[in-house]
Amino acid sequence: MRFNLGFFLGEAFKNIRLNLLMSITAVTTTFICILVLGVGLLVSSHVEGVIGSVREDVSVEVFMPGRGQEEMAALEEKAKGWEEVASVNRVSEDEALASFKDTFEEQPEIYENLDRGVLPASLQIQLTDPDLANSVAGKLEAEGYDEENLSYPQQTIERLNSVTSYMIWGLYAATVLFLIASVLLISNAIRLSIFARRKEIEVMKLVGASDGFVRTPFVLEGLIQGLLGAGLAALTVVWLNFLFVDWSRQELTFVPIAADAVNTVSILLILIVVGVAIGVVGSFLSVTRFLRKI
Amino acid sequence: MIRFSNVTKVYGRDTVALERLNLEIDQGEFVFLVGPSGSGKSTLVRLMIKEMEPSAGAIFVNGTKLSSVSRRHIPQLRRGIGCVFQDFKLLPNKTAAENVAYAMEVTGQRRRVIKTKVPQILDLVGLSGKMDKFPEMLSGGEQQRVSIARAFVSQPPILVADEPTGNLDPNTSVGIMQLLHRINRTGTTVVVATHDREMVDVMRKRVVALDEGRIVRDKVKGAYADEV
Repeated sequence: MRFNLGFFLGEAFKNIRLNLLMSITAVTTTFICILVLGVGLLVSSHVEGVIGSVREDVSVEVFMPGRGQEEMAALEEKAKGWEEVASVNRVSEDEALASFKDTFEEQPEIYENLDRGVLPASLQIQLTDPDLANSVAGKLEAEGYDEENLSYPQQTIERLNSVTSYMIWGLYAATVLFLIASVLLISNAIRLSIFARRKEIEVMKLVGASDGFVRTPFVLEGLIQGLLGAGLAALTVVWLNFLFVDWSRQELTFVPIAADAVNTVSILLILIVVGVAIGVVGSFLSVTRFLRKI
Repeated sequence: MIRFSNVTKVYGRDTVALERLNLEIDQGEFVFLVGPSGSGKSTLVRLMIKEMEPSAGAIFVNGTKLSSVSRRHIPQLRRGIGCVFQDFKLLPNKTAAENVAYAMEVTGQRRRVIKTKVPQILDLVGLSGKMDKFPEMLSGGEQQRVSIARAFVSQPPILVADEPTGNLDPNTSVGIMQLLHRINRTGTTVVVATHDREMVDVMRKRVVALDEGRIVRDKVKGAYADEV
């Protein structure tokens, strides 16, 4: 038998038009579910992006109050030789004060009475891997710099690692739950629309239509609805992302949120593919189950 | 053409619809199935198109044993039997022409063939002016004509009608019966289950009378009731 795509597409569009309310329900359900899924994806990629940049940023800072230039240079040379160290940056007292003023630019009362020398000179040691902070700190202590003069956010990192990994797993779990809920919601919407047309399907079968012949327009209908709902949702998600990144640049300057933490194209693709798959699989299963009964 | 051999159909536990029924209908015959409600007429029709399975016995249609037709091949079986129902069973979202065309589309006919055939058949049943009307805009008699056109458009060897005039007034019924008779003259086997006493008496065709699931009378050129 020939597969007449034109006929089936015509039937599908006609069904959508004649059952407009049901179609709108299905599209809206898909839209909401995919939107929630998309926001979940957005949040998790931004969280991962922030964690990534915070962890990348990890360094050990050695404060050197009262030590001379030579001593600093000597330590700098030594530290550069360690394999854990990516780079070493020397910060003079003047630079320390300048960057402090920079940070609190808008609250001059904090720094106006500070004299040069209150903030000590330091070495900023960038590590190749944040997990190595402990061993570098140990080496520095062996060099005679006590804990007090070292700043390495080891505890922060540990906490960050555990909290964020829970957070990310939580987000993944929530996303999966939403996905399951959306599959159920959408297949329910489709089942309702098929139930509303059960008489029609029975008649089609009586005239000698095969299961596939009855099913194809419904599956195409699910595909079109899924594409529409998911497409709109995906575009909304991308738009929300732009808004969020823009907003965070102004309002969350201290949080390293990057626009490139989110791969817009892949999010668009994922959301649309998921939406279409739900529409197609949902309608296929619903019609098939219904066809078995008659 | 159609053969029921020792067919029994029991609904639920003990509602016997047909009991050890034997019936043979030859090609080109016109047969009335008559009898009171619950005598088994509709059961017989539904068994013929494999809408359900008999509890015992064998049914042959067009030389095929129905119990050996798999679920997947039921559509092919049904394309060989045109069906007409009391409640017309038209697709409400399709026009008269589209309803008829649908029966051809399911068999994968070419669009060109469908386009020429549908107007012809609607003309044959006297509805050439109402091709683009939806079922709800047609009278009962007109809807039944559409459903007959749909049943006959692929020229199946058998046409089965279950109470085709059950919802129609007597004048309209005459037209429907004449139509069925014309179809029968093209060589199509026509089986009509009916209550319509007058119609049966006028037509003088083979009459198979059922009562409580059994054939109580089978008479060529018969009447609805026994003649004295």
